[in-house]
Amino acid sequence: MSIPSDVLRALRSAIENGQSELASQTVREALAAGIDPLVVMEEGLMDGAGALGEAFECGRVFLPELMLGGRALKSAMAVLTPVVQVRRESSPAGAPAPIVVATVLTDIHDIGKNVVAAMLSASGFEVIDLGVDVPPKTILERAVDVDARLIGISALLTTSLPYMRDLIDLLVSKGVRDRFKVIVGGAAVSAEYAARIGSDGTAPNAAQAALLAKRLLAPHPDALGVV
Amino acid sequence: MRSYYELLHRMDVGPALSEEQWDLDQVAMTTRRIVEKYKLTWDPQVVVPSDPGLADAVFTAGLELARELGVFSRSTGRVVRFDEHELEEGMRRLPQALVLGEGKDARTLVARGVGDDRPPMVWAGNPGAPTPERLFLPMVMSWMQEPIVDLVTCGALVDLDGQEIRTGGPLEIAATRRELEYMRTGLRRVGRPGMGMLAAQSSVSELGDLAVAHPDYLRPCDAHLVPMLNELKIDNRNVARAVNSLEYGMWNASLPCVMVGGLAGGPPGAAVVNVASFILSNLACLSDYHLCHPIDLRRTATSTRGVLWVQSVVEQAFARNQPCVIVSDIYPKSGALTSELLYETAANAIAITVCGGHLEGCGSADGKAPNGTGLEARWMGEVGHAVARQRLGLEEANALVLKLLDRYEHVFELPEGNPGVSFDKAYDMTSLTPAPKWLAIYEDVKAQTRQMGLGALG
Repeated sequence: MSIPSDVLRALRSAIENGQSELASQTVREALAAGIDPLVVMEEGLMDGAGALGEAFECGRVFLPELMLGGRALKSAMAVLTPVVQVRRESSPAGAPAPIVVATVLTDIHDIGKNVVAAMLSASGFEVIDLGVDVPPKTILERAVDVDARLIGISALLTTSLPYMRDLIDLLVSKGVRDRFKVIVGGAAVSAEYAARIGSDGTAPNAAQAALLAKRLLAPHPDALGVV
Repeated sequence: MRSYYELLHRMDVGPALSEEQWDLDQVAMTTRRIVEKYKLTWDPQVVVPSDPGLADAVFTAGLELARELGVFSRSTGRVVRFDEHELEEGMRRLPQALVLGEGKDARTLVARGVGDDRPPMVWAGNPGAPTPERLFLPMVMSWMQEPIVDLVTCGALVDLDGQEIRTGGPLEIAATRRELEYMRTGLRRVGRPGMGMLAAQSSVSELGDLAVAHPDYLRPCDAHLVPMLNELKIDNRNVARAVNSLEYGMWNASLPCVMVGGLAGGPPGAAVVNVASFILSNLACLSDYHLCHPIDLRRTATSTRGVLWVQSVVEQAFARNQPCVIVSDIYPKSGALTSELLYETAANAIAITVCGGHLEGCGSADGKAPNGTGLEARWMGEVGHAVARQRLGLEEANALVLKLLDRYEHVFELPEGNPGVSFDKAYDMTSLTPAPKWLAIYEDVKAQTRQMGLGALG
């Protein structure tokens, strides 16, 4: 087995096992060994993250493992990004700008949103999590502040759904609807509702949500052919 | 009267922590460590365990988790801890029996035991399921009229006189009052005006609870929910509900919806967190009894193997170590006019009854649609009564539930679930009787279940 293969395998394992310190240390070793940083990212970090996401969807691992994997990925990327000097446009989804996620105003349920946030992190996105019970105005302001291109909002409660529509109406009234993709999700959201309020889509689970985000942010969305 | 001053004080002065630290570093990591310490495992072929040592270990582990962690106040970002003496005092204080309802319709909920031959109380309804106003009264009457039903609950109104209801908006007040008007009207119409209720479902915020704490709406002999947020979290809004209820004199039902596959990890971790949640809710939700409602994170139903196991082991843990009133929710994946709804309901009802719980349901179609009817509530009660009458043992119950799983487990793989149809398509809206097709499905499932081994179904 070649050294690069061993290092990449160790990197994948560190992500899958949620070992933050080991992940960042292994990235340093990989770079020191002269492995192409893009290979480190794609064949080490992203492969590990992908395997972790699949394991979660199959029920082999649970939410803590997914969140720890996201943490490990973040830690590894902190070492890798300055070296690669990746331009924002070159993230795995082809869309480097952060994703803003929130549970909408009046709804305090966060597990679904947390799972999607963890899956997005584990898929290589930078996720800005605004928490729960977040007013539409705050979501918009933060999305503008961090120069996000995608906003993900969640609601468990049927009676909180109107605040999803309020956000989209706000984006329209401020003339910035085209600046952001908006995906919606949560127990109360159906595909029909997502379409009715003019969102850019919904997904039945966290893995599909991550794929949807990748597709929406890809420079050529049809190329990915998913969701 | 119990004091909540100390709770409010600790919510203000406890150790500060970020929510992410609480979720991952405290709840997830501590639960994982305790599960390993007590060597807690589960077997998907044993969804109704019959090992008393396992139930006792889960109880001890849950108590340890409760003692070590406490609860997190989301409103103040503080941790509220309780010492062992306080936790034990909280458990001892919980009533062994409580009376719901009044007059001839009153019922006494008791702390049931494992394999108890006293029938479980049958608490019918689909708590919180989004319900259009035009369907609300006929729906609740469809289960109120069932003779086997002891207590009732209801869905949440999503519109009022054609107006959209928003969480936290002024209409929540009017909607919750309208809900209670419908409930009281329905009970009068079926000739059971004193029947006890769990209600105020049409308001997610505390507004609705405040609006209906009046004898014309929710009476002191009724109950309402005090949710504990995932996992082991409280906030001012829900404590406000508990305080209001305590001052008014109504029963508080704790509701921790522990996620199987969530922060607690798999079924063993979820069981430990569920036990800890009940113990802590005695003090943090000021509860009088508990609603057992673990949910599968990926499959969002109570009828999965993992959730069946958690409900079973948690009920046994309390029945053996600290008896109290536990009412267990049944939220099947499937909805009206499907055989799977009835098989899922039967599986949950068998496991709950034999392990020491009372029955509440059905939140058909996982409580996400108005696709529930009185027929599955009748079925839930019939199964529970049959289990008690037949004195089913834990191992027999497990064998029966495994057979039932064969009949419905495929629904978890259906991309769109198995929601069935809305109430008005399964019931005659005038006579409030099941559609012939729905009744035929019920008769067939009943015959099949009897044949599987529940002979006492009659």
